[in-house]
Amino acid sequence: MKIGLLGNQNSGKTTLFNCLTKMNAKIGNWPGVTIEKKVGIIAGTKHEIVDLPGIYSLSPYSVEEEVSRNFVFEEKPDVIINIVDATAIERSLYLTTQLLELDTKVIIALNMADILEKKGLKIDISKLENELGTKIVQISALKETGIDELIKELDKLDKKECINIYDSNIETAIWDIEKHLDKELNHKRFICVKLLEQDERFKLLKTPVINNIIKETKKKYDTDLEEIIAEQRYNYISRTKEKCVYQKEMKETISDKLDKILLNKFIAFPIFVVIMFCIYYLSVGVIGSYTVDIIGILIEFIGENVNNLLISINTAEWVNSLVVDGVIEGVGAVLSFVPQLIILFICISLLETTGYMSRIALLLDRLFRKIGLSGKSLIPFIVGSGCSVPGIMGSRIIENEDERKMTVILTPFIPCSAKLPIIALFAGYFFPNSSGLVSASLYFFAIIVIILSALIMKKFVFKNVSSTYISELPEYKIPSAKYVAKDVWDKVIAFIKRAGTTILLCSVVIWFLLSFSFSLEYGVDIENSMLAQIGNKISWVFYPMIGEKSWGATVSAIQGLVAKEQVVSSMAVINGLAEDVEEGSQIFSKTGVFGFFTASAAYAFMVFNLFSAPCFGAIGAMRRELGGKRKMLKAIAFQTILAWILATIVYQVGIKIENNVLSISTILITGIIAIALIGIIVSKIKDKNSECSNCPYNKDCSKIK
Amino acid sequence: MNNEKNKITNLAELKVGEIARVVKLNIQDKRIKRHLLDMGITRGVEIKIKKIAPMGDPIDVELRGYELCIRKADLEQIEVEVVK
Repeated sequence: MKIGLLGNQNSGKTTLFNCLTKMNAKIGNWPGVTIEKKVGIIAGTKHEIVDLPGIYSLSPYSVEEEVSRNFVFEEKPDVIINIVDATAIERSLYLTTQLLELDTKVIIALNMADILEKKGLKIDISKLENELGTKIVQISALKETGIDELIKELDKLDKKECINIYDSNIETAIWDIEKHLDKELNHKRFICVKLLEQDERFKLLKTPVINNIIKETKKKYDTDLEEIIAEQRYNYISRTKEKCVYQKEMKETISDKLDKILLNKFIAFPIFVVIMFCIYYLSVGVIGSYTVDIIGILIEFIGENVNNLLISINTAEWVNSLVVDGVIEGVGAVLSFVPQLIILFICISLLETTGYMSRIALLLDRLFRKIGLSGKSLIPFIVGSGCSVPGIMGSRIIENEDERKMTVILTPFIPCSAKLPIIALFAGYFFPNSSGLVSASLYFFAIIVIILSALIMKKFVFKNVSSTYISELPEYKIPSAKYVAKDVWDKVIAFIKRAGTTILLCSVVIWFLLSFSFSLEYGVDIENSMLAQIGNKISWVFYPMIGEKSWGATVSAIQGLVAKEQVVSSMAVINGLAEDVEEGSQIFSKTGVFGFFTASAAYAFMVFNLFSAPCFGAIGAMRRELGGKRKMLKAIAFQTILAWILATIVYQVGIKIENNVLSISTILITGIIAIALIGIIVSKIKDKNSECSNCPYNKDCSKIK
Repeated sequence: MNNEKNKITNLAELKVGEIARVVKLNIQDKRIKRHLLDMGITRGVEIKIKKIAPMGDPIDVELRGYELCIRKADLEQIEVEVVK
């Protein structure tokens, strides 16, 4: 049996799915967590169950909602489990009334039944079953109650009865249209309603006779049929609710009280800034770097011992080098960042599950709109600070196509957890006394880059005007420790797996290319190795931002395409070999391959790696979400060129400060003057526009076009 | 200063705590109208202004037992009659 799981956004679908299948799919407390369908098998049965993105109606507005609708029509499930949030029953039943019009069997899982009492609600289940003509099972997906009963009922399910929702005019029209539809067609009643609503998807079924029926029906009302049908559906639900649901007047909820503080006009922003600062300070700053040091020492210790062991059992010199310099050095450089990632993942998971994420979106919507984005863009950005791939995919919650595409292109600018090792490495070495501050400055830099690129794109690429923000505001929830732990665990395991596979493979390849020359001679001077020769050919690209034609830095940066943490890994391997296996040598010791790095070159190199093309995983996600290779290539070119320009500026300015050619005050003053000039120019342009918009001839004016 | 009872206005004009009944949806964009209808904003429904985002927009309203955030620009297109 094939079962579809459908329900509103944030109604607990994924929790129920996990509960039924014993899987651990992603759960959050913001609308739109599930963005693709997930398939599983209900534990103890042979039923296949599909978790779908949340929808409020079978007329979709965003890409993710389209997935759900297509599932119903194209994959023809045998049963639909309609999960209904008992605490928002009126809105939830709106989708139910549409599902009941399909030919598919529907069973209602009434979720969150356990907190009804707290909300002063009481629902008469058997009465509601009678009204809706289908089976209802009370469950709590979170506490895992009622699940067995739900599974049992799936087998017993009968065909549902038809319910009468509409007034006689609409009902007659439905009957009339049905007579003119193909007898073989599934979901006839549903399609009739959609035809009356003039839904684009079904317009091919229209015949002149049907068109006439629609036209005649329309004459009987004072507004379009789409509105009339929605109205009658909701009126039906209100009547049903009156019969079956009893509600006590409620006092102010805890969420309301919390929002008085967290969404307070004056302190909402400071609170948000403090929370975000704490998150990154914890993970990138003090605690994070402390743990990295510990693991670094541990890995060094392992490397030394393995080296001694290998020497004692008389292995060939190159095997020794492969294991210690290739594998341990390369993988270890990445693994030492695991504790930092754990902290970061815990924080993001908490933001997601508590419901604060929805508040941040609301808080920043007005600001984001100014630069052509939606408040909802923030969700992909924050998720993207963990990993760009889910961040990019998360952009699907944004309805407006332009805002969505801009978000997709901008999300990789947020330093993801794999870029953290790069930041930590450079900031830790070159700015030992202010590494926290330097790390924070890069996040700040990222924000500025995002704003600037958004403005550029808004001006030249996406010139849309209309957009909306329509989103449910969920209540605050206490996150489940079990879920957060599992979520963090899965992400960390994925990171470690990548270190054990992709990074391991790359490290070995790098080691090979470094240890051999083109004539396959082992043990050549590193400057004659294959990698050095390849790197030397293109190292001029990086010259303007690091002040040195370094093949090592060049090949390392390019490897960022495989995975960003590979940059660090590669530098560790290259350095390890160049130093003639001198354990514990710092990557940047003055005699080493990377000895030329100065503070400004380090900062510029970080800037380049942070903002240039993301890793292949993220590039793939971008291609899917932008809908094509060409757009993806354009986006990547944009990112990389921008990164190159920024890094070059950073280095060229930085080196002048380092050499005391320019004082910081000079730069500050020129900076301020430049910003002021740009401001004046922008406001001039704006003035011109507003002047035109007031002009009565502006529609025909050539200046506007 | 509260809006008088039965006064016809649009949703964006209401203050926190006020309740109004929807009279007419003047939304031009069909997709937005469809979305708002699906979310339960139909004629006759009572809507309460719950919270306003710290920057003054969007606005969080309560209807049909749940909360929905909408931008001011869209609320302006919803004609209402003040109830309380």
